[in-house]
Amino acid sequence: MRRTLGQSLSLYGGLLLIALVIGLPFWWVLTGSIKLPKEIIQRVPTMVPQSFTLQHFEKLLQASDFPVYLLNSMVVALFSTAFTVLLALPAAYAFFRMEFPGRNALYKTILLAYAFPGVVVLIPLYGLFAKVGLIDSPVALVIVNVAFALPFSIWMMRSFLSSVPREIEEAAVVDGAPTLTILVRILMPLIAPGIASVAIFAFISSWTEYLFASVLIVSDARRTIPVGFAGIIGQYQIDWGLLLAGATAAIIPVVILFALVGRWFVSGLTDGAVK
Amino acid sequence: MGLTRILTLAGFAATLLAGTAYAEPVNLTLWHMEQPPHRVQRMKELLDEFNAAHPDIQVKQEPQSWGEIYAKAPAAFAAGNGPDLLFTIPDFTTVLKGIDAVVPVDDLVKDLDAKHGFVKATLAPYQYDDHVWAVPAYNMAISLWYRNSVLKAAGVEVPKTWSQWQAAAEKLSTDGKSGIGLPANKQLYTDQTVYSFMVNSGAADIYNADGSIAFDKPETVKAYDFYSKLAKLSPADNGTWTWGEAEACFANSTCGMILQFGVINTYDTQAEGDAADLGVAPVPHADDQSESATISYSNAIMLTTKDEAKQKAAKVFLTWLLEPANYGRFLTMEPGLFLPVTDDGAKADSFWNDKTVTKYKSQVETMIANSHTGKLFGFTTGKVFPSIGAISAQNVIAETLQHIVVDGQSAGDAVKAGQGRMSEVAKK
Repeated sequence: MRRTLGQSLSLYGGLLLIALVIGLPFWWVLTGSIKLPKEIIQRVPTMVPQSFTLQHFEKLLQASDFPVYLLNSMVVALFSTAFTVLLALPAAYAFFRMEFPGRNALYKTILLAYAFPGVVVLIPLYGLFAKVGLIDSPVALVIVNVAFALPFSIWMMRSFLSSVPREIEEAAVVDGAPTLTILVRILMPLIAPGIASVAIFAFISSWTEYLFASVLIVSDARRTIPVGFAGIIGQYQIDWGLLLAGATAAIIPVVILFALVGRWFVSGLTDGAVK
Repeated sequence: MGLTRILTLAGFAATLLAGTAYAEPVNLTLWHMEQPPHRVQRMKELLDEFNAAHPDIQVKQEPQSWGEIYAKAPAAFAAGNGPDLLFTIPDFTTVLKGIDAVVPVDDLVKDLDAKHGFVKATLAPYQYDDHVWAVPAYNMAISLWYRNSVLKAAGVEVPKTWSQWQAAAEKLSTDGKSGIGLPANKQLYTDQTVYSFMVNSGAADIYNADGSIAFDKPETVKAYDFYSKLAKLSPADNGTWTWGEAEACFANSTCGMILQFGVINTYDTQAEGDAADLGVAPVPHADDQSESATISYSNAIMLTTKDEAKQKAAKVFLTWLLEPANYGRFLTMEPGLFLPVTDDGAKADSFWNDKTVTKYKSQVETMIANSHTGKLFGFTTGKVFPSIGAISAQNVIAETLQHIVVDGQSAGDAVKAGQGRMSEVAKK
């Protein structure tokens, strides 16, 4: 069916509007990071930079511990993502396929974990981690990040599992495949986009987590980006150039990583799924 | 002397020397909230110097954030891994004193006062319940900032009274520019600027001597009423402002005047940087008041260790830090913002020789003079009540302003509601 001119204009107009709403803040941050300080704060903002400098990035990389924060964030986020996926997948499969007492009730209540704001458990968790010597350790952040990402990840993963035709599993059972083999060799390739989605969710949750990282980490050398960055910005006097350069540097690795990871996962979608 | 005796003495001496050589230094952990990289670097330089000169004491810094320290420090002390020295502001001290984490420093402050002469306004917020609870480290006070050229072009004098201030702000509000930039956010900066008006209308005390709230009075209403008039001359986005936005507004010349602790660094690096044109003055006072006052934050250092050896070492460190030769370099970790709390610190070459301080000498001198008239809400009567921590944390002063500028209430009604809120918070 061909679209009318009006429909096409509405469609492209809508797409353009959405692209602008999503893209403008990024453009603003990106271009601001290469403007001279005077241009950044000038009364009439410039959409296209009238000046060019890398001084904010130089300051960010040379005069601050930003590279250390970046590395710490990367380590914590990658481990949090890996453990979230590793735990969410079998848990979701158990909720989806296995029969055990209280399965439905447990599945429905799993999201209750989000009913408690993080700040409520902050102090008890601090005491707990202090007792086991995990204060100022990235391990504590990984544990917290996984604990908070897991319930929703299980929900997401179960939805993806339920979209796989039952006949595929039955065929594997007929061939004598045990449960673990079915999960790893049959279902995992089929729900690769789902795993990618969960991984992205877990990674971004960890990458942006501030509250626990600000309290459980004490030394500067172990800070993650959100906390370290908040310190760089300052309270009474804000270095806007440094702030924008830091924001740009914090975004770029995530964008690059998921441009690659997302494509790799999606490319394997359902290849050779059915005999 | 027989050989045996010589050998015995030599052995004894060797044991003593070995004992000295292997004696563990006293390790101190210092938490401060000076997180920007250049401040951390300056602290590192100072600590390296101190540690080298005092091999028996080693101080390490662990920068923290003001945003989280109110939750983090009590948790750390409860878990037994809090710092030995901790930077503070007056209301934060009440929080930690409430959990018995702070050690009084009466004798140390007495010695340091005799040696260096503390500015009274910086010590007062830490003197209560028969003790001194922290050693003042640096001061910050709000001043009125403007450009001489802008005032001259508009034909206005530097305002000293509220009527002059309003007239100046109205005259400077032309060509899309705002005569003044005042925040109206429910945030600490607004608490501070509103209180700068209150101290200049005779409403400095928000507590009665018995601890009941003394917020609702004609002087407070007058301050809010005048603030709301000037807020109308401020940029429309002032409801979202913190310190940085106000500074940017001044730096890009949108705001003719602002109230701020300091603008020197931003003005120097992101605006004209013309020292002769940058003006600073005391916050104007109400027409029926005789002189100006301001809000000031005396930042201090608390002793938070119960270990006697550490306490002794911490006192050595604090004494070293306030020596004029070191103290100026501590203050100029943020030149043009951190002001001296001691008389000899205000004269120290190590302070005045800083490049930025030298360039903006007259402005810094005015800032120091302003800081001597500083007061802080909840710390003006010589008695301190624990509820000030909650009143400050919940930004009740700023919230009261929002009832006027956002909800359209009269100043009288808003202040009455503010009194109710403060009383309610104080009861909890």
